[in-house]
Amino acid sequence: MAEKEIPILEVKGLKTYFTTKKGTSKPVDGIDFVLNKGETLGIVGESGCGKSMTSLSILRLIPSPSGKIAGGSILFKGKDLVKLPESEMRKVRGNDISMIFQEPMTSLNPVIPVGEQIAEAIRLHQNLGKKAAWEKSVEMLRLVGIPSPEKRAKQEPFQLSGGMRQRVMIAMALACSPEILIADEPTTALDVTIQAQILEIIKNLQKQLGMGVIMITHDLGVVAETCDQVVVMYAGNIVEHTSSKELFANPKHPYTQGLLASLPNITEDVEELRTIEGTIPSPYNLPKGCRFSSRCPHSKDICSERNPELFEVSDDTKVRCWIYSDNWNNQSKREEECLNEKHS
Amino acid sequence: MAMFIFRRLFQTIPVIIGVTFVVFFIMQLVPGDPAVILAGEGASKETIEALREQLGLNQPLIIQYFDYITSLLKGDFGTSLKSSQPVLDEILVRLPITMELAFVSILITIFLGMAAGIIAAIKPYSLQDIGVMLIALLGISLPSFWLGLMLMYFFSVKLQILPVAGWDSPLHIILPAITLGVGGAAIVARMTRSSMLEVIGQDYIRTARAKGIKETIIIFKHALRNALIPVITVVGLQFGALLGGTVLVESIFAINGLGRMIVDAIRMRDLPMVQGGVLVASLIFVIVNLLVDIFYRLFNKRIDLN
Repeated sequence: MAEKEIPILEVKGLKTYFTTKKGTSKPVDGIDFVLNKGETLGIVGESGCGKSMTSLSILRLIPSPSGKIAGGSILFKGKDLVKLPESEMRKVRGNDISMIFQEPMTSLNPVIPVGEQIAEAIRLHQNLGKKAAWEKSVEMLRLVGIPSPEKRAKQEPFQLSGGMRQRVMIAMALACSPEILIADEPTTALDVTIQAQILEIIKNLQKQLGMGVIMITHDLGVVAETCDQVVVMYAGNIVEHTSSKELFANPKHPYTQGLLASLPNITEDVEELRTIEGTIPSPYNLPKGCRFSSRCPHSKDICSERNPELFEVSDDTKVRCWIYSDNWNNQSKREEECLNEKHS
Repeated sequence: MAMFIFRRLFQTIPVIIGVTFVVFFIMQLVPGDPAVILAGEGASKETIEALREQLGLNQPLIIQYFDYITSLLKGDFGTSLKSSQPVLDEILVRLPITMELAFVSILITIFLGMAAGIIAAIKPYSLQDIGVMLIALLGISLPSFWLGLMLMYFFSVKLQILPVAGWDSPLHIILPAITLGVGGAAIVARMTRSSMLEVIGQDYIRTARAKGIKETIIIFKHALRNALIPVITVVGLQFGALLGGTVLVESIFAINGLGRMIVDAIRMRDLPMVQGGVLVASLIFVIVNLLVDIFYRLFNKRIDLN
């Protein structure tokens, strides 16, 4: 863990809503987290839980006009990005905060040489001349481990393999030495062997540059390997916020427990993998109470009535579940009493 | 790239042979005997027969076709039945006029069309988009002969700022070029809009935004180059339609170009002249398509003929 100083990123009560003909969808609905220098924060959750929308919100790249940040603040070194004018925001993008996207095959412009795609950002943010920017771009390609980078820089994306394209994306994201790197499923589209290499590259560069990393993934293996703290998201909410160690050793939220239980175990010989029953609620029609209650094995009346707050369970763990409230046991007693009354 | 052009050039040979074949045999379907027309009314049977013999019209069609091809290779497009002048001479006089008109018209098609398409695509479903697309719909729907006459009436007769007809000064080119180019511009505008909208939704545009690049650079550098590929195809096809349109527009504005030459020749049943005119127009279309393919390749290196 990094030493406690002023955090480089502080997200408070972030809400991103989409207004469409079908109604209002709330993919991000009140998110809080803090990222310190040199630290890696993992955001995990299944597809549609709002993790990618959270990262796009930080860069203010949500598809408009249907989507917009409906509330909260994103403090980058104390400066609220939500309130920044667009021209100022452009100076932050790619320079202070940059992003690696999950689809290396489609995230690079097919008709522009990759070297130019990297050099473009360097020229823009670092005021370098054409030649110097090109040289820096070649150097970045070398840094991410692309062989004969001078030749590769002149090539177009279709001449590169998927792994190489993802390296180009990383080189592009890191070209201006950002303070925060958001990696949105950086390894999802890649082979397992390439995955390990890419994660290694990100880790090494993080050490060299001292940047904060937000690692968005649905792969718990990636979390175990790279993250200091982890945020588990479910239907637009954070359901558990804890350290990476604690997450695996002692998962608190029933959803997190379910996620970990559904991981296949190498020593077990089972016919079917375990799953969490049910499906994620529609972001257009979220339940009034806890969003996981319909799938939760421990669900009680209160769960479907009120959405719990994040209860602080220990110093570094917060859980959004009524089980960790003081009332849980009382309520259990009350329910038992009710049952007994009915029986008698 | 040189190899690409060479290979593509090679591929045009069968197309050109096909074109001569079609042009030649279509002319055979035209009613009326050239020998009768040439001999004039009231000519004797013997005169007509002699003319037939002289023109080689008694030969089987396939022999006539080969004769036609061999003369073409020698640069002989035949002799006009009316003026008795070589067809090629007449074409060479008319062709530059039509090419000039076509060139200015296609520029209008490209620039007006692309500009309108981009303006519409930047703010989809906004008032500016709906407005531009409504004008484009109007542009597609207006028949060129009507548009030509209206422009002529308004600018030449009413306002008297542009010449009515003819081909004497650069001012003369304005109205016919607009008449000819507007329909294509409307089609190009619609194509550019839909192509731009598709490209703007792509992941790599989001990547460009994430780099902090200005929206104008994103539109012109990142989006337009990708969006242009289908637009180039449409421009190529439009050029064909435009050549066809010269026939009408040259007649309306009394321009002595290739189009009008063909119309006059058809009216007078001057078959060698029609044949020559149609052949040259077809060759121009083939060349334009060749250029389209080369442009394709310039914009997108993934395109390979292999």
